Amino acid sequence: MITGRNVTKTFRQRGGVLSGREVTALRGVDFAIGRGGAASFIGESGCGKTTLGRIIAGLEEHDTGEIVIDGVPMSSLRPRQRQPYFRRIQLIHQDPYSALNPTRTVHQTLDAPLTLRARQTRRPRSWVDERAEELLTLVGLDPGYVLPRYPHQLSGGMRQRVVIARALTVDPEMLVADEAVSMIDVSLRLGILALLKDLRERLGVSVLFITHDVATARYIGEDGELYVIYRGQVVERGPVETVISAPVHPYTQSLLSAIPVLHGLERPGEQPVLPTEALDESRPDAGCLFARRCPFRTGRCEAERPVLGHGGDTPQWHACHHPERRSVVAVPIGRR
Amino acid sequence: MVMTSVKAPATSGRRAPGVRVSGLSVVYRTPAGELPAVSGVDLELVPGSITGVVGESGSGKSTLALSLLNAVQPPGRISAGSVEIDGLGDVVRLRGEELRKARGRHIGYVFQAAQNSLNPLKTVGKQLLDLGRSHDVADLRALVRDARDLLGRMGMDGARVLDSHQHELSGGMRQRVGIMLALVLNAHLVVLDEPTTALDMITQANILRIVREVHEERGLTTLVITHDLGVVAEIADRLAVMYGGRVVEQGPTRQVLGAPRHPYTQGLLRAIPRLVGDIDEARALPGRPPTLGTIPATGCVFRERCPLRAEICATAEPRAISLGESIVACHVAEAGAGPEGRTRQAAEARKAREEHT
Repeated sequence: MITGRNVTKTFRQRGGVLSGREVTALRGVDFAIGRGGAASFIGESGCGKTTLGRIIAGLEEHDTGEIVIDGVPMSSLRPRQRQPYFRRIQLIHQDPYSALNPTRTVHQTLDAPLTLRARQTRRPRSWVDERAEELLTLVGLDPGYVLPRYPHQLSGGMRQRVVIARALTVDPEMLVADEAVSMIDVSLRLGILALLKDLRERLGVSVLFITHDVATARYIGEDGELYVIYRGQVVERGPVETVISAPVHPYTQSLLSAIPVLHGLERPGEQPVLPTEALDESRPDAGCLFARRCPFRTGRCEAERPVLGHGGDTPQWHACHHPERRSVVAVPIGRR
Repeated sequence: MVMTSVKAPATSGRRAPGVRVSGLSVVYRTPAGELPAVSGVDLELVPGSITGVVGESGSGKSTLALSLLNAVQPPGRISAGSVEIDGLGDVVRLRGEELRKARGRHIGYVFQAAQNSLNPLKTVGKQLLDLGRSHDVADLRALVRDARDLLGRMGMDGARVLDSHQHELSGGMRQRVGIMLALVLNAHLVVLDEPTTALDMITQANILRIVREVHEERGLTTLVITHDLGVVAEIADRLAVMYGGRVVEQGPTRQVLGAPRHPYTQGLLRAIPRLVGDIDEARALPGRPPTLGTIPATGCVFRERCPLRAEICATAEPRAISLGESIVACHVAEAGAGPEGRTRQAAEARKAREEHT
């Protein structure tokens, strides 16, 4: 339902000592998420994944490239005409504590958008309360319990479910979940992830996960596509299980190697990849953006920037001159 | 040129201290009366070891960590128990100036969100000098040199970092500055509260490696508080699992993770999204963690979310018993420890499963 071609974005600092300094957030990114489909963007903070998510949700303008929603190029429309397209794409924030107005009960939070929705779709006023209860039930909450309550009376997991219910009030076709579980208690995270997967299956909404935690990226479903983003460039892209079990880009491999091993339950992967130095964006890179940190770099990597392709006949896309499978992921020790 | 050491630290030769927390309880005063955040916790930090305390929000893990400094702030107070630290005595009894000196000199503390705990208006170096003066360090030059060495040890340009303001440093760098400030007064007991929260995976892996290396090189006793089981699994020798203000299970990390005895530990391990294995095998724990006001007054704190709960769980608080190398507080695990109990445990588990499906 949404595709992007060669999307770029550069932020220019205005005012202050850093005035005029440019930060390149996206360096020509392609993506495609089908109706009812799923994708995960993973990468470290500052890699551009959140910017891309905001562009997809219509909250940020990109510089060059094209975004196409349901076959309509957004560049052909005026900003006002784009609104109905982007309204179908709802963003769920990381922080369920600040995403809800603390002075409003859950009932009030859902009532306003539903009332508007009822007017748009010429439904009777009575539909609003019915729909509120329906949505809360759908996200796994007890309407009788949560409706009269204020956000501070709910747990983080419940709040995030309310945020999701609110996003569903406008009947979106796509949910963009930006680090949607990182602030939620560990024992409850899976519940939210399962809910998003469930909404995908039951309502047919597309889901985009944006996260730095590769393990949660898996929970969009097996048919989902994983995008590994590094410094504004997609460096590896393919089916979730392929990229996780057989990554070929050294950056993906170092991300996966950095995931803590549950000693006693797992043993570390045999070929962990460690970046040779810390990220330093103050110097320009002529070749591969990861070359300076890459333990496998060659002269070619420093001179020529690789483009996304299937070089070396890999099933996934990658942007690496020397793609090679390495076993970096921890392996479970038998079964308990 | 011959360099003579100008600084002979009064603390030289000090060894990693042991810590014994016994029967520690902390209560918070609320309109509903005094509510327990930590209840009867027994925990020993073996000299030279890294102990991880893992728990969800409201489990009391941060309150426990603050108790090691006797730094629980009103409306909270330590209502019972002791915290014996080698070379310091019972810190619960320390007051005023004695206590202030102990913090920093003996106990280093890296606060939660250390990234944001620096003063934005002062350079790191200025804050270091403030720290030195407040602890009457005679040789501030030596202090600065030590700080530079420590920062260098953690892979940073020490001189440059000391000249920097907070905003000029990345999250991972600030975290390392926090660790430097906790260690620079030569403390041998270090408490790290959520040392990697809000850091990226690769930065987190780096910080954990640094913590481990510095721990070994300086001969520390280290306590790491976190909600992330992965973090403690990666670096801790011993692991304590907290729930509702209690330590429900503790033991060697590999033991606790490899053969968890408490249903909460088991559930928590099942609830972690993993990179390999059947995606549907992982599931969230039902219910929600208790908050200060909802911790049950009698019986087991975990019973409402427990798939194995028995009648006794509602009435009697389980005592901590040794099972192999682990210490576990669970009626069902206790019953399962004996030959007769094992069948009972199995029967109860079966019953619980049937009720669930």
